[in-house]
Amino acid sequence: MNEEQIAAKIKELLIENLGIDEDVLTDEIPLFEDEIGLDSIDSLEIIAAIDETFGVSMTGVGKEPFYNVASLTAYVAENM
Amino acid sequence: MTENKNRCVITGLGMICAIGNSVDETWENALKGTCGIKEVKSVSSEGCYANLAAEVDCDELDNLPKADEMDRASKLCVKAAGEAIEDAKIDLSKDNATRVSVIMGSCVGGVVSVEDYYANGKPAANIPKMPISAIANQVAEIYGAGGVVTNIGNACAAGTISVGYACDLIRQGVSDVVLAGGSDAFASVPYAGFLSLSALDTNPCAPFNHCHGITLGEGSGVLVVESYEHALARGAKIYCEVLGSGVTTDAHHITAPREDGMCQMIAINRAIEHSGLDVSDIGYVNAHGTGTAKNDNAEFLSLHTIFDDKNDNLSVSSTKAMVGHCLGAAGAIEAVFSVKALTENEIPATIGYNDEDLEVLKEKAGKIDFMPNDSKKKELTNVMSNSFAFGGNNASIIFSKKAGDVKAPVNNEKLLITGAGIVSTVGNTVEDYISAVKENIAPESESVTSEVGSEDFKALDVKMAFYRKLDKFSQLQAVSGIAAIKNAKLEVTEDNAADIGIVVGTADGPLTTVCNFQMDLTEKGNSAGSAFKFPNTVYNAAGGYLSINSGIKGYNVTVTNGTQSGLQGIAYAMQILRQDRAKVMLATGTDENSEVMTEFYEKLSLVGKDASEAYIDESGFTLSDGSTSMVIETESSAKERGAEVLAEVAGFGMAHKSVSFGKLSGSGEALDEAIRLACKDADIELSDIDGIVGFGGGLAAIDKLELDSYRRVFDEVKPVIAIKNITGEGRAATATLQAVHAALTLSGKLGDEQTAYEVTCDSVEKKTVNTSAMKNLLVTSYGAGGSYTALIVRK
Repeated sequence: MNEEQIAAKIKELLIENLGIDEDVLTDEIPLFEDEIGLDSIDSLEIIAAIDETFGVSMTGVGKEPFYNVASLTAYVAENM
Repeated sequence: MTENKNRCVITGLGMICAIGNSVDETWENALKGTCGIKEVKSVSSEGCYANLAAEVDCDELDNLPKADEMDRASKLCVKAAGEAIEDAKIDLSKDNATRVSVIMGSCVGGVVSVEDYYANGKPAANIPKMPISAIANQVAEIYGAGGVVTNIGNACAAGTISVGYACDLIRQGVSDVVLAGGSDAFASVPYAGFLSLSALDTNPCAPFNHCHGITLGEGSGVLVVESYEHALARGAKIYCEVLGSGVTTDAHHITAPREDGMCQMIAINRAIEHSGLDVSDIGYVNAHGTGTAKNDNAEFLSLHTIFDDKNDNLSVSSTKAMVGHCLGAAGAIEAVFSVKALTENEIPATIGYNDEDLEVLKEKAGKIDFMPNDSKKKELTNVMSNSFAFGGNNASIIFSKKAGDVKAPVNNEKLLITGAGIVSTVGNTVEDYISAVKENIAPESESVTSEVGSEDFKALDVKMAFYRKLDKFSQLQAVSGIAAIKNAKLEVTEDNAADIGIVVGTADGPLTTVCNFQMDLTEKGNSAGSAFKFPNTVYNAAGGYLSINSGIKGYNVTVTNGTQSGLQGIAYAMQILRQDRAKVMLATGTDENSEVMTEFYEKLSLVGKDASEAYIDESGFTLSDGSTSMVIETESSAKERGAEVLAEVAGFGMAHKSVSFGKLSGSGEALDEAIRLACKDADIELSDIDGIVGFGGGLAAIDKLELDSYRRVFDEVKPVIAIKNITGEGRAATATLQAVHAALTLSGKLGDEQTAYEVTCDSVEKKTVNTSAMKNLLVTSYGAGGSYTALIVRK
């Protein structure tokens, strides 16, 4: 799976599991700021989905990889 | 002193939980500091990071009458209710049935039956056991009650709100005796849900101590709440008085409490003020004390802010360290603990502290005695029980040896409908609905849905960061609620927020989300619960989101007992306004249709073969969904803010005649009674009613029962308007819509003519009727199990 495919899959998970509107979700938009407004419950959901989909554990990982789709993609690609 | 007519007393107690199957057994174990928390037995804990729970061990539950028709949550409640009635030595059959009510709280209702449904080939017999609605109905059926029967679906505050509502009903003159309490069973849905939130402690929960999370429990608490005069007349043993209560909502977060404790403190202060007491009068607080850092820190802050320097003799404990967090039963079980502490002058401890913990507690406790490890004797006069819940709900109630000075002001002002929001299968605005009525639009098939989405939220200036979290049930509610507030031109400000409240009525609540959550667990195990979905599995999530978005901080209650919940919500809102406990109320009805709901209603043979016509077709109704919200306020409030008035809600009546939950036939006399009570409440004669907005929808058993009631009650023919021909059977959403329809009719917004059915002794004739001269409209609705609410809407 290349980074483009990983990013597409992550977007699919965020749209499906966290109710984010597809037309808003770019690679760069910050996930935990005003417009999308993810919170700590959502980060639990992201951790569970990434673990299930990619076999990558993000438990206990700092905030940085959760910043946007691009940073999540980079973390998954590095740790797959 | 509280006037005798406003005095409410406790005359019977019943409880079942992990440390006892009766009050005596539980109390003895509580004083010994017995911990009921053990390894999970009844559900799988494979792969789960925490495996403890406080489960009930009782082999009598399956021997209860009608046990095979009940979920474990109902069985626990029936068991506790039986003990309470026996303790009160009350013969309910001797009372006028309509003066006896049942109000039960629950968080998740029949989720054991939901789990069993998906694990064992989807048996139809499980379906009626699933909704919270079943609980109060089954208690009413087994013990006999014919007054207000309903459930409070406010998650972990439900039990406390139930007892508060019981007193409201007595002080409003609606009931003499109320069985009030709460019940929840331990099951996979709450277990996996709290696991998904990482909110379960791996050790037994340690409230006000380690605060690493909760441990779930299960059980039920039931109290016989009785008017003082009724108790006196029958020579009853009186445990204590129930004084005031306070109910608020945080308008903050769907699972976490406000860190500043602001709305908790408003609830606590309102309970004290409502009781006519001073902060220094409280001797013991049975705290919410769940063992999560967020709850316990907010609660420490609230207790210190309210009591420090004003009360040097306060004891506080959390009994959850022994019995776990029993969710919708918690407030009821803790009410029983509070009454026992008060009357026995002995306080159960918060167990689980070691020497090191005790040192830490000293720092945090200040002058408050947090009762670590050992119960103690203490002369008590007034005790308080606090419960806080998902959705940001806060409830506080006070029990006392003295009559207190309960302020029960009666506000006799007219109550006016000043705004509405409608989400239905014909569109998501009031204008869409008006057009559909004028054009007589009919549903396209036997199962139809309302559509809500980003366009609706954008039109209401609601950001995606808010609405993306909501399931469809909550989205329906949010759109109609926010639209109603805008339609009423109601501005929610810091100054008025705590004087505005919400009552949500729902038949099935978020049962679709509960089932979807359970389906994931059935497939992947209890470690696979979704943290995103779980907060939406509680019935009060929709009301919670609405308060978060609107900023409303007063009452926030979810009532659930079938279709008529939509009208029960209006009645509850009217009672809050009449008691002067809010200035403006939002009364709503919301229910969702989905693949899951269509499967359920089709399996129960309730859905027609095609879109149905009320009173003409017989095979079944058109299942639908939606949400209707109505703004109701006192005349002075409406005048002060120059609100446009649609109509007046002049009176309500609620009655119940028990039949098996899921059935209706044989209960029609309760509808007769509800209509008579509504007319009495509105101070009109039956002959003053100009027309009826009825509940028929094309299922013969329901439609015939309804029309037969009108034939018995009325001497002359009344036109019956059938709005389910337009929107289908959207359950509570349609019940509230019937009331809004009545208001729109009387305001002239629907024109001068409508289609209606004229009911004579042996026929039903469809006609066009002129509505322009109508002054009083009757609105009726039903709930499976035999509950009815009638409402009078006046021009």
